[in-house]
Amino acid sequence: MAELKSTLNRAGRYAARVREQYGLAARVRELEAELVEARQLNRRVAELTDVVTELLVPLTRRDDAGVDAVLARYRRII
Amino acid sequence: MSAATTAPTSHVDAQGLLLPADATGVLTVSLDGQYVWSFQPVRDGVVRVVDGQRVRAVAWPPALAHLLDGGAHVLVADADGTPYVDDEVRFSGAARRVRVVDQHGHPLAVNKVGHLTRTFAATDQATRTAILSGTARILADLREHGGVEAVLNYGCLLGAVREGRMLGHDCDADLTYLSTKTHPLDVTLESYALERVMVARGWTTVRMSGGDFKVLLTLEDKRVVHVDVFASFTVGGTFYQLGNRSGTLDPSVVAPAGTLELEGVELPVPRDPEAMLAFVYGPGWKVPDPAFKFTDPPAGVRRLDGWLRGYRDDVAAWNDYYRSPRSQQVPRTGSQFAHWVHARLPAGEGIVDLGCGAGRDARYFALNGRPVIAYDSSADARQHAGRLLTKDDLDVPVRRFWANELRTVAVTALEIATAGHHVYARQLLGCLNDEGRAHLWRLARTALRDGGALFLEFSSGTGPTALDPLVRRLDTDQVVAEVAAAGGRVTHLEEGPGLDTEDRPDPRIARLVVRFDDPAPKEHHHG
Repeated sequence: MAELKSTLNRAGRYAARVREQYGLAARVRELEAELVEARQLNRRVAELTDVVTELLVPLTRRDDAGVDAVLARYRRII
Repeated sequence: MSAATTAPTSHVDAQGLLLPADATGVLTVSLDGQYVWSFQPVRDGVVRVVDGQRVRAVAWPPALAHLLDGGAHVLVADADGTPYVDDEVRFSGAARRVRVVDQHGHPLAVNKVGHLTRTFAATDQATRTAILSGTARILADLREHGGVEAVLNYGCLLGAVREGRMLGHDCDADLTYLSTKTHPLDVTLESYALERVMVARGWTTVRMSGGDFKVLLTLEDKRVVHVDVFASFTVGGTFYQLGNRSGTLDPSVVAPAGTLELEGVELPVPRDPEAMLAFVYGPGWKVPDPAFKFTDPPAGVRRLDGWLRGYRDDVAAWNDYYRSPRSQQVPRTGSQFAHWVHARLPAGEGIVDLGCGAGRDARYFALNGRPVIAYDSSADARQHAGRLLTKDDLDVPVRRFWANELRTVAVTALEIATAGHHVYARQLLGCLNDEGRAHLWRLARTALRDGGALFLEFSSGTGPTALDPLVRRLDTDQVVAEVAAAGGRVTHLEEGPGLDTEDRPDPRIARLVVRFDDPAPKEHHHG
């Protein structure tokens, strides 16, 4: 009986370890995905910063020709 | 196949190569005498048991696989020239010979990252000198006008240092510059600014990621050589160098640059070329390996992917598609959806074809008297569209549209708003990921706020499409919910059997008309 109890305890501890590891693996996958999302913000912010800094001055000056020139320049690189 | 010239366990067909299980080293593949690919059977293949014999199966690289239509004399040989396969192979029932060439008929080969490019071995001395002189001009512009420490790197540097000439199996010129920026965002902004400088100097460029762009070098015979301009920078003590390299390297290995002569042309190179080559190719860089592949630290690749990439993931696959015989079968006449849209719009109103592919619907709208602007992500698609439209003398600008790149999205939205056109997107939605669709809604909301409609057709429901995974089915309810969340109104929705991207019957196609203008502007009450 004592032997059975000890085996059951060992099995229980093993099951808990497996549960913990699988839970951890899922959490790591989740964290990795969240990290990718955060890293991608670099590029998005860079794209927006680039387009805003290029267009800000002609738009503020209501300089239509200037805006057209910026758009035409963009068309050569995008 | 003849047993006399082909090893008994070797076999070649459209799927790939079966070689003896003990085949090792680097093997090169030639089709009708033209070098097209080199590989390592152990690294690139898997062991299978065929007819009770262990063999190594190696699949064709995708860039080559879709060109294997017809027949070719296949030679697969090791470094000593001993053939594993030396025989005529029919890849398909077509009577033609397999041709691995560019649009001008110049031979192409698969490079170390799986793309088809020209090889220096296939170019004569005068052309090699022209390529290197052009590369020297690009380097001078980067250094003098861009103000960056740009140097020759990768294959050209390896060739220059190890062999005093360009390497036979390398196929592009790669340059790197040492950025002083320590934040990926600033590295990207610097690369954008550098590209603008190069365009202002008269060069044509293609952006590859936030940290690299290509400068297109056009030779006298109209051949175009791609010269990559890669950023290198240090973040958190790790040195990163585009493509995908990362690790420990003291920036003083790069700057201040020295010079080396390659095929009679003097070029700036890293201060310590040997240390750079060991960083790039590993300690074995002195031993030639035409099938070399990079093994980069996965953590570094993940960081570079996250920081700098993600807006042209499918572009290469679409380019391959538009180069394939399969895409040539798609009708060049207007689609059913184009007819449907044309009948619903007042005569003469303009339309933007977003995701125009080979240009069939842009052509249809233009032939029916509508001003048209066409957009696509794939350079090959745009080339097809341009040719189709020019044939009919139609004045339709064909421009690049990358839905995942916000600069393109913003500029395209402004162009559409200025033109006052409607927006038409047939089978585009299923090609975009979540971010791309979100950007498309943003674009439509910006471009169509003063009126105009967005016409959408896509494969709906579940299951694969004939072009999976390039085109995926979408859940119509989800699309409608996304439109609503972006401030759009669906004014028409129908769903039923229709035709897919290639005009094949599709059991479920959805058609939507969406408006983003405010139907009843609210009065503003002051006080």
